[in-house]
Amino acid sequence: MTANVLILSAAGMLVSAYLMVGQKALFTTIRLYGLQSLLLAIVATTMAISESRHELLVTAALTVVLKTILIPWFLMRTVDRIGIQREVEPFLNVPVSLLICLGLTVVGYRVSSGFEEGTQQVTHHLIGVALSLLLIGMFLMVTRKKAITQILALLTVENAVFLVAVGVTTGMPLVVEFGIAFDVILAVLVLGILVQRIVGRFESMDVSRLSNLKG
Amino acid sequence: MTSAMQDGLLAAGAALLQAGGLLALAPLLKTVIKKMKARLQNRQGPPLLQGYYDLAKLLRKEPVRSDVASWVYVAGPRAYFAAAVAATTLVPVVFAAAPLESAGGILLLVGALAFGRFALATAALDTGSPFGGMGASRDMTIAALAEPALMLGLFASALAAGSMNLGVLVRTLVQEGVTRHPADILAFAGIFMIVIAETGRIPVDNPATHLELTMIHEAMVLEYAGPDLALVEWASAVKELLYFTLLVDLFLPVGIATSTAPAALLVGIVAWVGKVFVLAIAVTIVESTNAKLRLFRVPELVSISLGLAFLALAIRFL
Amino acid sequence: MDGLVAVGVPLALAIRLVSVVATLMLVRHARACRWVALGASIAASVVTAAVAVHVIGSTSSIDGTLFRHAASETVLGYSVTPLSAWFLTTLSLIAVPVALYSTGYFAHAIAPPRMAAVGAALNAMVGGLEVVFVADGVIAFLCGWEVMTLATAALVATEHESRASRRAAYLFLVMSHVGTGCLLAGFLILGSVAGSLSFAVILSGHVVSGSMRSGVFALFFIGFGVKAGLIPFHVWLPEAHPAAPSSVSAFMSAVLITAGIYGLFKVCAFGLGPPDVNWALAFMSLGTLSAILGVLYALTQTDIKRLLAYSTIENSGIMALGLGAAMMALAHGRHTLATVAVAASLMHVLNHAIFKSLLFLGAGSVVMATGTRHIEHFGGLMRRMPWTGLWFLIGALAISGLPLLNGFPSEWLTFQALLQGFTSTPGLVRLNFPLTAALLALTSALAAACFVRAFGISFLALPRSPAASEAHESPAVMLVPLGFLATLCVVLGLFPGFVLRALGGVTASLPGLQPPAAMMWGGLGMSSALTSFDHVAPVMFGLAFVGGLIGSAALTGRRAVAVRQAPTWGCGGELTPRSEYTATAFSKPVLMIFGAVYRPTRQVDAVAEVSPYFVHEIRYRAEIEPTFERYLYRPLLRGVVRMAGGMKVLQAGSLHAYLAYVLVLAVILLMWLGGTT
Repeated sequence: MTANVLILSAAGMLVSAYLMVGQKALFTTIRLYGLQSLLLAIVATTMAISESRHELLVTAALTVVLKTILIPWFLMRTVDRIGIQREVEPFLNVPVSLLICLGLTVVGYRVSSGFEEGTQQVTHHLIGVALSLLLIGMFLMVTRKKAITQILALLTVENAVFLVAVGVTTGMPLVVEFGIAFDVILAVLVLGILVQRIVGRFESMDVSRLSNLKG
Repeated sequence: MTSAMQDGLLAAGAALLQAGGLLALAPLLKTVIKKMKARLQNRQGPPLLQGYYDLAKLLRKEPVRSDVASWVYVAGPRAYFAAAVAATTLVPVVFAAAPLESAGGILLLVGALAFGRFALATAALDTGSPFGGMGASRDMTIAALAEPALMLGLFASALAAGSMNLGVLVRTLVQEGVTRHPADILAFAGIFMIVIAETGRIPVDNPATHLELTMIHEAMVLEYAGPDLALVEWASAVKELLYFTLLVDLFLPVGIATSTAPAALLVGIVAWVGKVFVLAIAVTIVESTNAKLRLFRVPELVSISLGLAFLALAIRFL
Repeated sequence: MDGLVAVGVPLALAIRLVSVVATLMLVRHARACRWVALGASIAASVVTAAVAVHVIGSTSSIDGTLFRHAASETVLGYSVTPLSAWFLTTLSLIAVPVALYSTGYFAHAIAPPRMAAVGAALNAMVGGLEVVFVADGVIAFLCGWEVMTLATAALVATEHESRASRRAAYLFLVMSHVGTGCLLAGFLILGSVAGSLSFAVILSGHVVSGSMRSGVFALFFIGFGVKAGLIPFHVWLPEAHPAAPSSVSAFMSAVLITAGIYGLFKVCAFGLGPPDVNWALAFMSLGTLSAILGVLYALTQTDIKRLLAYSTIENSGIMALGLGAAMMALAHGRHTLATVAVAASLMHVLNHAIFKSLLFLGAGSVVMATGTRHIEHFGGLMRRMPWTGLWFLIGALAISGLPLLNGFPSEWLTFQALLQGFTSTPGLVRLNFPLTAALLALTSALAAACFVRAFGISFLALPRSPAASEAHESPAVMLVPLGFLATLCVVLGLFPGFVLRALGGVTASLPGLQPPAAMMWGGLGMSSALTSFDHVAPVMFGLAFVGGLIGSAALTGRRAVAVRQAPTWGCGGELTPRSEYTATAFSKPVLMIFGAVYRPTRQVDAVAEVSPYFVHEIRYRAEIEPTFERYLYRPLLRGVVRMAGGMKVLQAGSLHAYLAYVLVLAVILLMWLGGTT
């Protein structure tokens, strides 16, 4: 039962990442990120109950509060303020992007089978999903032009790391988790402010315009 | 009186005796060379005791010093003189040991003479006259060039005899006998050329000129008068005698006394005087048959000397 | 006493650390800063000296820990070996007079707002250097090395409004870090092969072998050679040493150089196993080259501090030369000879520190009194600054290697090592020794010429500028350190046997060397390993010299007539300072004879207004070609810039491109490493 929940949640996270790749509307992308974080919290709660690691409950709560509620709210507010609702054409069109994401997933799963923990079924999926999520997040960062989407991609990468930490290893010390949580908040705040400044300067969130600054 | 103190007193006494003797004979050597040069040029030349008369005259005169100079100007000739006199105690002259041979060997000898030269050159800059600076500059440059050649030549002989201490070197050579290696001739030629340079003789420098374009050593001492000049002249003469004695010790120490018997000492004195006289003749011939070189030709001469010394080292040991 | 010695090193470092913090906090009170910083420096140096002297006397090391971090199990330990103790003694011996001198000098020369920074940087520099000498592991060593470098750079940039100072500091930083990079690479190679970062393990001599050993040697040689100022790594030295305040320059030239020499000893010569003949040849040839070129360039300088900086390069070369001779002897299995050569090099470290700091401090006094560093504007200072002049003269005599002073014994020992090396090594390579000896003789004779020029033009005859004619003698607090150092020069020159006896313990602690029983001779003199080869007792020569002086006094002093003072003959006109010989003229013969080295260029312009026959002004400009800057470093720089330009393509300026690099790298790494467990 636990195994099923875990595998389903992980799969859900991967699906949400794919959907993020295919999305053009900014609001939907943010909500997809919220969903991803919720699924991560479910993984954490399941691990906490099944292995009676109660500190993971704190982690789950933290994830829900911060990543499912606070950060999406903040990002949506930023988008509101800027007034741009749609993503511009990415560098690669959607079908090609999805194909590449498939390739990255294959890489992630292949690497996962090289690990010792990857021999068990559950952890095999968990590591595979996490690595794929990491690579897809980085890919998103490379191919998207809007700063908000890049922030979301960074957060996806961070979710992937969390997944591995919670699901596979013995978890991180609570101190480290708090530290990471605050790092994430700080990063998002800073990036949010930065996005507003970029828009204020260039009247566009298009990050590729930064190359105008090149000397 | 412990034996160490006895040895010390003996050494001091011998040092005084040797220094005094060389001091006494140095002006004679200079005058002999002058006279021989004059004879070669069909002149009479000065009387043999002229050197002593000149020194006595100078010592009697009133000291005149520049009003611009500091104590360095006064100290220069005295340091030069003291260095030359102290150096005389390091070289074996008539006896196969130097009075203060425990003080040092070839390196200390060269260093002592360098000390004197440093003092004199520095003092020459003290009067504010351009001649002093010019002489100091030229003399220090030529000395710098001459030093490696001198060192190499001395090393060639010292390494052959197995010691750099002059007393030990002479004793070793006397024991081994007169048979020498062809490298000795090369080394002798090299060192002889350097001795010409160091004593300020033609073809490197003219000791009798006072023309700006041709002076080297004379320019350094141009501003000295009276007793100061006497010290400088005397010390230069002692230096020359010292160099000749060095050549004699390194290359032909035949006849040097190996015991303190009066007969041996007498033979030693006669042998030494004779050999120095022969060297004086050689110097006279070199001076009379050559013209003075331009200043910037002197490095060529020195480099020939360096090459000869290096060859001496190479063919002896390889 | 034993208790003090056991905690001495951490105590000294703690004093320095506290003083750095205190100085920075007292930034508004310049006078307090000065006293705190310099007082702490003196106190810490005394403690370090006590430790060092104890180690040399007892010839056993003192070990301990400087810093321990339990969680990560990092331990930074220290080990005062006899070799370290020798260098520490030199450091402390120089640091105390320099600090004392600085109490007077900084009051005049450093602007009050900067006093805190200068005081703190000085203590940081000396503290870093102490850590370098006593570190027993790579981390401690490199930490000390970096602190020392950064503090020195800060001090070099003290007068940062001047472009030359900024450039000097920048050049110093770049070259130091090139050297540090090589050191880091070398240490990491050794550490990864040996599996530990402790010196006891990686410098045991058995870690690497074959061509890797030579590669590591080359890395360390470059790294330490940059610090020691050996040619061709010397380009920073003539810029950085003049730019720093004079007492700091003294410390830099005298002691900071020895950090490089210490490294060369500890790692290159004795830390990588039995030396190779090629290594010894590298040391000897670069050492000789440094010596000759150093003194040749020094002869033509008109900035007195630059002159002294080039002279430091020369002496650094002599130290490397001695070490090279030792390595050559070790490579042929001649242990006694190697001991003599090592002793010569180490003795020169001490002697050079003493007379170089004496000369730099004297130059500092002169610069402070006249307001300029240009020799041609000095002159006549002997009458206005008699004590400074006297001490500077003693320093000049010492650096020329003349007997009775301390330059002579170390040069004498070096000659001994070279000459005996000739007789005891086989084959064609032995010709190196007499050649090197001849070049060493040339170097010391040229050094004598250089310092006749430096002393004579600066202190003698008429003042050449208004500033020189109004110079005042320095305050007593600046004269006492000079006098102390000059007295040391004389004492160590007359009694070198004591230094040699102390060195016996130091050399015995190095692998492959034997304690030279025959090197002491009668307590007063020195002898080389074979007593019959040569020995010297400078004090006896000193007695003979005094005898000569008495003789000269006897000959000339009997006159009752007073001395007549008369003006110098000015060739019929009035003698003005303009008719004096200039420093440039003094070194012109050398410039012309060694023209192939200098490649001088000359430009003479005759400026005439009315007619070319009535010349109104003649302008003369002479320049020496900066050979190493032009032919070695400029092409190197151009290559680096070109390579950077080529790599500029990668810096597309596009954020996406950078992210794409990260992604590609991540995928590649995962596929490469992930498939293997």
